[in-house]
Amino acid sequence: MSSIVYGHFTDELDLLDAVKELQEKGIKIADVRTPFPVHGLDTALNLRRSRLPKVAFIAGAVGGTLGMLFQIWVFTVGWPLNIGGKPQLAIPSFIPVAFELTVLFAAFAMGIAFLLRSNLGPGQIPDILDEDVTNDHFQVILSEKNNQVTEPELIEALKAAGALDVKHVNSTK
Amino acid sequence: MMHVSPIREPLINGEKSYNDITNDVMAPVKAKPGKLWYVGLTISALLALAGVGAIIYTIWNGIGLWGVNRTIGWGWSITNFVWWVGIGHVGTFISAILLLFRQKWRTSINRAAEAMTLFAVMCAGLFPLIHMGRLPLGFFIFPYPNTRELWPNFNSPLLWDVFAITTYLLVSLLFWYMGLIPDLGTIRDKMKTAWKKKVYNFLSFGWKGSARHWSRHESMSLILAGLAAPLVLSVHTIVSFDFATSIIPGWHTTIFPPYFVSGAVFSGFAMVLTLMIVTRKALNLEEYITVGHVESMNKVIIATGSIVGIAYITELFMAWYSGVEYERYAFVNRALGPYAWAYWIMMTCNVISPQLLWIRKLRRNLAFTFGLSIFINIGMWFERFVIVVTSLHRDYLPSSWAMYKPTWVEVLIYLGTFGIFFTFFFIFIRVFPVIAMAEVKSVARSSARKFLGKSVKQKPEKNH
Amino acid sequence: MSEEKKYWHLLEEFEPVKDIRLPKGPEEVTSPVSRRNFLKALGLGTASAALIASCKRPVEKAIPYFIKPEEIAPGKAVYYASSYFSQNEYCNVLVKVRDSRPIKLEPNPKSQVTPNGTSGKVQASVMDVYNINRYEHPLKDGEPVSWEDADNEIKNQLRNLANEGQTILLITPTLISPSTKKLIAEFVSTFGAEWHQYDAVPMNGYREANLRVFGTDAIPEYHFDKADCIVSVGCDFLGTWLSPIEFTRQYAHRRDLHRENPNLNKHYQIEAGMSLTGSNADDRIKVEREDYGKILAYLHNKITLSSSTTATTNIQFPQETANALDNVAKTLLQNKGNSLLVCGDNNPDHQVLVNSINQTLGNIGKTIRFGRNYNHYRGTEEWFERLSNANPRAVILWDVNPIYNHPESEKIKDAIENASLTVSLHSLPDETAELCRYVLPSTGYLECWDDAEYKTGIYSVMQPTLHKLFDSRQAQETLLTWLGNENSWADYIKNHWNTNYFPLQNQNTDQERYWVEILRNGEFVSDNTETSPSFNSGEIGIALNNSVSENSGEGFTVELVENVNIGTGHGPLNPWLQECPDPVTRIAWGNYASISPRLAREMEIKNGDVVLIGDMPGIPAFVQPGQADKTISIALGYGRRSGIPEDLVTGVNAFPLTKIKNGFRNYSSSGFNIKKTGEFEKLALVQGHQSMEGRPIVRVATYEEWKENPAAGNEMHEKVKHHLHSLYEKHDYPGHKWGMAIDLNKCIGCSACVLACNTENNIPVVGKKEVSRAHEMHWLRIDRYYTGNEENPEVVRQPVMCQHCDNAPCENVCPVAATNHSDEGLNQMAYNRCIGTRYCNNNCPYKVRRFNWLDYTGADAIPNNRYDPANMTLDLPRMRHNPDVTVRAKGVIEKCSFCVQRIQKEKLDAKKEGRPMQDGKLKSACQQACPADAIVFGDLNDPNSKVSKLMKDPRNYHLLEELHTLPSVGYLTKIKNKS
Repeated sequence: MSSIVYGHFTDELDLLDAVKELQEKGIKIADVRTPFPVHGLDTALNLRRSRLPKVAFIAGAVGGTLGMLFQIWVFTVGWPLNIGGKPQLAIPSFIPVAFELTVLFAAFAMGIAFLLRSNLGPGQIPDILDEDVTNDHFQVILSEKNNQVTEPELIEALKAAGALDVKHVNSTK
Repeated sequence: MMHVSPIREPLINGEKSYNDITNDVMAPVKAKPGKLWYVGLTISALLALAGVGAIIYTIWNGIGLWGVNRTIGWGWSITNFVWWVGIGHVGTFISAILLLFRQKWRTSINRAAEAMTLFAVMCAGLFPLIHMGRLPLGFFIFPYPNTRELWPNFNSPLLWDVFAITTYLLVSLLFWYMGLIPDLGTIRDKMKTAWKKKVYNFLSFGWKGSARHWSRHESMSLILAGLAAPLVLSVHTIVSFDFATSIIPGWHTTIFPPYFVSGAVFSGFAMVLTLMIVTRKALNLEEYITVGHVESMNKVIIATGSIVGIAYITELFMAWYSGVEYERYAFVNRALGPYAWAYWIMMTCNVISPQLLWIRKLRRNLAFTFGLSIFINIGMWFERFVIVVTSLHRDYLPSSWAMYKPTWVEVLIYLGTFGIFFTFFFIFIRVFPVIAMAEVKSVARSSARKFLGKSVKQKPEKNH
Repeated sequence: MSEEKKYWHLLEEFEPVKDIRLPKGPEEVTSPVSRRNFLKALGLGTASAALIASCKRPVEKAIPYFIKPEEIAPGKAVYYASSYFSQNEYCNVLVKVRDSRPIKLEPNPKSQVTPNGTSGKVQASVMDVYNINRYEHPLKDGEPVSWEDADNEIKNQLRNLANEGQTILLITPTLISPSTKKLIAEFVSTFGAEWHQYDAVPMNGYREANLRVFGTDAIPEYHFDKADCIVSVGCDFLGTWLSPIEFTRQYAHRRDLHRENPNLNKHYQIEAGMSLTGSNADDRIKVEREDYGKILAYLHNKITLSSSTTATTNIQFPQETANALDNVAKTLLQNKGNSLLVCGDNNPDHQVLVNSINQTLGNIGKTIRFGRNYNHYRGTEEWFERLSNANPRAVILWDVNPIYNHPESEKIKDAIENASLTVSLHSLPDETAELCRYVLPSTGYLECWDDAEYKTGIYSVMQPTLHKLFDSRQAQETLLTWLGNENSWADYIKNHWNTNYFPLQNQNTDQERYWVEILRNGEFVSDNTETSPSFNSGEIGIALNNSVSENSGEGFTVELVENVNIGTGHGPLNPWLQECPDPVTRIAWGNYASISPRLAREMEIKNGDVVLIGDMPGIPAFVQPGQADKTISIALGYGRRSGIPEDLVTGVNAFPLTKIKNGFRNYSSSGFNIKKTGEFEKLALVQGHQSMEGRPIVRVATYEEWKENPAAGNEMHEKVKHHLHSLYEKHDYPGHKWGMAIDLNKCIGCSACVLACNTENNIPVVGKKEVSRAHEMHWLRIDRYYTGNEENPEVVRQPVMCQHCDNAPCENVCPVAATNHSDEGLNQMAYNRCIGTRYCNNNCPYKVRRFNWLDYTGADAIPNNRYDPANMTLDLPRMRHNPDVTVRAKGVIEKCSFCVQRIQKEKLDAKKEGRPMQDGKLKSACQQACPADAIVFGDLNDPNSKVSKLMKDPRNYHLLEELHTLPSVGYLTKIKNKS
C-alpha cells in the first residue's frame, strides 16, 4: 500500500521553482496538473518530446499517396475516358484532391493518436484531487511508490517548496 | 529579457486573476440566458425554417423556380456559396496562421471565430448541394465503387471543391474541438449540478490538465495549425479554380487564387468584427476583447482590403493588356454595363471604405468599425455577384446574352442561411466558452494588466 | 439516301424482314464482347434503379400482341409515301411510322416538287393528328350523335331543300385533289348545291391580273434558279408566298458558291417591313408599303420606256430610293430573259404591271412558265357575296374558318345562324365549326386516303399511316354516303386514277401494279405541255394610272404579313410552331406590331409596350430595324380562341384589319394612328442582343471580294490555325469522326431544321412564360444579327447547335463525367449520370446546352410537379414521341447529339448488309429537313465525304475557333452580292 501526496501553487513561477527544488532533492514528481500549459514545465520535468508529429507525417504521406494513385488508376486503368481532349494521365488536376486527402488523414490520425495516447475520450472518468487545477491551481503530485523516502518526508519537502494545503491520500495505484 | 515591449498595450484589461478569467468567461454558460437571447434565437430559428421550406420547394419543383436561365446558370446560389466560404476562412486563419506567427491577441477571439467558421462553412456547403438539378442523385459525385465502373471526373474543379470543403469542415471541427477540451474540463469542475458535470465531463473526454497531456496537446495544436494553414489557403484557391479554370471571360484569370484568399480573409475578419463587437458587449467581455483586439483586426482588414483592391485593378489592366476583345468587353461591361451598379457597390465597399482605417482614431472606434464591417460584408457579397453573374450574362455569342434577376425563392434561401448561422451561434455562446480560457491564461502573464510591470521585476519568465 | 428504303402500303406488299442475325462484320470480330460489357448493361439497370430510388413510379402495364400485325416490327420504322398540303405549302413526304404511329415526316427524294427538305409547318404537322382538341365523335347541337342519324337527317334535309330549289352552299378551302373535285361535282349536281373555294389569304387579284394580261387566270411556274436577277416587291417568296419550299430550293441552288459554280444570283428586295426574304436579300430597298404601286409604275416606266413603249408619268421618290430603283431597273435590263420580278400584292393593277415588266424583259417562258401551273389558291370572295345575299338554307363548311379570318365575321355569323341546315366537316374545331348544327369530324391527313394535283400534271397520293384515333370520318366519305355511293373513298380514288392517269403512262400495263407503284413513289408525273400565253397590253394603261393615283393618306399603314410558322391561323393549334421563334424578330408565342426605330424613339415606345392601332385590341410593339417609318407590320394567324387550350391562346387577331377592294382582299390599309396604352407585355424574345459587337461570329464577304479571293472575309481562319498549339497530343478517332458543315450563304433561316430537331429529339415545349425567361429548350437555334445602320441593316444568320468540340470546355468541368467524348468525336451526354450542376452550360462558349428547369416532360421521379402549359405530356401527344430518343427528366442538361440515334441506325444497317457506310446516306434531322441543303453531315475521316470537302473549302471556318475548342461543326462564309 502506498500513498499520494499533493499540494498546489497559485503562481506558475512558484510552481516551476518548486519543481526544480524538489528534483534537486532527488524527489521524483508523479504528475503536475495546471489550468494551462506552463512554459518550461515540460523541460523542468524533462518529459520526452511527443511523437505525434511523426504519426501525422506518416498518415499524411499515406493519404496523399493513396489519393494520387487512386486517381491515376481511375483515369488510366479503371475507365480511360476522353474528357475535353485532355490526356488521361493529367497529374496536375489530381493534385488538389491528393492534397486535401493528405491533410485529412494527417489531422485525424494525429487527433485520434493524441486521445488514445493520453487515454482521453468520451466517458473517461479522471481522478481529480483538486477541482481548481482546471481553474487557477498548479498542482504537484508526489507518490510514495516511486520515491525512496517516506510519506512525511514528502509532505515536508512539498511544504518546504512552498506548496499550499498539502494533503495525502492512500491510493491503490 | 522580458519579451513584452512596454509600448504594447495589455490584451486583458482590468485586474484579472486566473480565477476571474474563468468566472468571467464562464458566466454566460452558468447563468440563465436573458430575454434578448431567447428573442434572437427564436427569430433565427424561424428564419432558418423558412429557408429550409424554400429549399424543399426548390428541390421538389426544380431550379426553374429561380431566376437563373440558359445563359446565367449560376446566380445567387453560387454567389452565396463563395461568400459564406470566404467568411468561413477567418476562424482557422486566426487560430492556425496567427498561432504560427505567435500572435497572442488571437487567443481572445479564436474560439468564437472558429465556431463562426464552422457555421459559415455549413451554410456555404448547402448551396452547391441545392443548386444541383437532381439533389437526390448528388451521391454520384463521390467515388464509390459501383457496377457501372463509373468514377467522378477528377479534372473538374467542382469535384475538387467537394473534397476541399469537406476536408476543411472536418479539420476545422477537429481543431476547434481539441482546443475546447481543456476549457470543457474547467466548466465541468465549476459546474455544481451533477448532470451538468456528467455532460461536460463526457464532452471534455475526462481532461485533468496533466503536464504530459498539455505537452502533447501543445505539440498537436502546433502541427494541426501547420496543417490547417495551407488548408485554409487551399480551400479558397480551389473555390477560385471553379472560375479560373473555365473559359468564360472574367472568370479565366490566373490571379484568382491569391485574390480570392485575401478576399476571403478580408470578409472573414469583417464578419468576426460584426459578431465580436456585439458579443463582447452582450456577454460583457470588454476586458478580454479589447479595443486593442479590434484595432489589430482592423489592421488585417486594411492589408487584405488593399490586396483585393489591387487585384481588381490588376484584372482591369490585364483585360486591357491581354488584347483579347472578349476579355476587354467583359470588364468594360462590368464597369459600364447593365450591372454596373453592382460593380460600383463592390468598389466602394471593398476598396475605398477600408482605406479609412489608416486613421488610428477610426481604427479604434467601435461604432465606426461595426458599420464598416457591415459595409465590407455587403461589398464582398457583391464581388462574388459581379464575378458570377456579370461575367456570364454577356459572354461570347451576343445572341445568347441575357439578364438575371433572383426570385423570392432564392432570396428566402439566402436569408434562411442567416437563420441557420445565427441559430448555431446563439446556442454556441450558451454552451461553450466563447473565449479560450486556457489560452488566455497562458498569455495572461505576458499580456494581462495584472501581471504587467510586476512580472518584469520578478523572476524572469522562461519564455520561448 | 432513302432510295433503299422500302415503302409499302398494304399487307400483301409486305415482305417479312430477312434473317436479322448480324453477319460477322469486322467490327464484331475485333470488338471484345466481354464480361465488362455485360456489367455495363447490368450497370444501366442499376442506374435506372438509382434514378427512381428517391421516389416510386406508377406501375405501367404493357399488353403484348395476341397476334402480331405483320407490318409492325417493334423498333423498326416503316415509311409511307404521302403528301402534305395546306394553303401555300405542298410537300411530298415519307411518313416515318414506328409501332403503327406516325412520328416524323421526311422529304420524299423521289418527288418532283420537293425532293429535299420540308418546311417547319410540314415537320410540325405530324402533331396535328395527336391534337388534344380534336372532335372525338359526330355532334348535333353540341350533343353526341350517331353517324347514321346524322347522315339520314342531313340527307333528307338536303333533298328537301334541293327540291324546294333553295340555295345550298358548300364552302371549302382550295382543294387540289382531283378525285375530291370530281366527287364534289357529283354532289353539286345531285343536290343543286353551289361549291365555293375560300382562301384565308387569297391570290385572286394576282390571278385576275394574269387573266387580263395573259388571258389565263392560271398561276405559272416560277424558276428562281434560272433567274440571275431576282427583284421582289414586298414578296416573301422564301417564307410564305405561293410555294416557299420549292422556291427556297431553287433560290439556295443559286447561292451555292464554289469554284464549280461561281455564279451568284442578285436579289433585290423592295419592301416596307422586314420579311424573311428581305432579310436574305443582297440589296434591300426600304420603302413605304403604300408606295408599292408607284414603285412598280416607276420600274415599269424605266424598263418599258427604254424598250420604247409609251407610258409617261413622273413619280417622285427621295433621291436615295430613286437611285436604288434606277439601279434595279438597270440590272433587270442587263438580265433580260433570265431575270424575275415578283410582287406579293393581291392587287390586280400591281400584278398587271409586274406581268407587263416580266413580259418586256422576256422572262415569260424562261423564268416564268405556263403549263405546269399551280392548282392551289383558287379561292375567291364569291362565297361571301352568296352567303350574305343569296339567303342560303344549307351551309356546309369544310375546314374553312371565315368567322376568324374574314373582316365581315358578323355578317357571316348571321348568315350561318339563319341557315336551317349547317354542317361542319372540319377535322379540327374552330370558331366557325362551333356555329354549325352538325359537326361531322373529318380525319387528319395522316389518317386518310386522298390524292393531290398540286401542279398540273404532277399527281400524288396520301395514304393512311395509322388507324383512326377517334370516331371521325373523312369528309369525302361523308359526301359519298350522302350521295348514296357504296364505294369506299380509297376505291373511288383508285378508279379515278386508273381511268384518268393510268392511260398517261406506259411503264405499267397492269393497273394494280401501277397503283402500287404510285403508292411507293408518292408522285406520278405526266408529260408537261408548256403553253405560251398571248400578251395583251390593253390593261396596262389603267393599271399604271390606278397604281400611281394610289395616295398614301394620313397616318400609318398597317401591313398584314404571314409568320413563316404560324401561317394564316393553323399554327397556333400546334405548340411546336408557337414555340419556334420567328426567324426575323426571334419572338415566339404571339404577334406584335413591328415599328421603325425612329418611330419608337419619337413616341418613346419600347419592346413590349402595348399600343392601340385603329380599333384593334392592344398589341405589344416591337422595334424592328429596317422597318419603314410609316408602316406597321402585324402578323396574321394569331388570336385563335376556340380549338386551343387556354395557355396557347396568344396574340391578337389581325384579320379584321383586312380590306376588300372590289372583290380583292388587300393586306395593307392606311390611315391608322398608334398610341401607347402604358401597359406592358413581356415578349417571348429569345435573342435580346442584335449586334455581333464586331466579333468574327458570322463572317461575310461580298461577291466581288470572293471572286478575288475565295477566302475573303475568312482571313482570320488561317491566322488562327497557326496560333493554335496544344501541350497535349490529340486523341485519335479511329473509324468515324462525325462532322457538320453549314453554308451560311444557303441558309435562309426558315426554321425547318429547328422543328425537325424538335420532332426527332422529343424536345419539350415550355410555353410563353418560360421562353420569355430564357428557359427555351431548342437544341438548334438560328441566331440572327444586324449589321450596318438600324434604318436599313444587313441581316446575317447562323444556325447554332452543339459544336461537338474535340477540346470541349463542357466536358472538363462536369464533376461526374456525365458528358464526355466518344471515339467518333461526339460530345455525348449521359442523362442518367447528370446531376444538374449546370457547370457545363456556364462553360460552353456557344451556350447550346439546355437545362430541364422544371418537369417539362413528366419524366421526373418526384410527383405533382409537372410544368406543361402546352399539354404536350398528355397521353395523346406523347404517342408521337420518337422512341429512339430518351425523354429527359427534370434537372438534367441536354443538347444536340448529332442525332446519334440516326448514326447508330445507319451503322447497324451497314453492318447488317455487310457494307461500309456510304456518305450522304446518313442525314441528321436538321439536314434532312433543310430545303436549302445548307447543312451537310458526314464522316470527317472519309476524305471524299461531302463534309470533309466542305471543311477544306476556303470559305470554311469554325465558330470562336480562336478559343481552340476544335469544333466539329464548320461554317461557310456568307457571300453577299452587293452592288
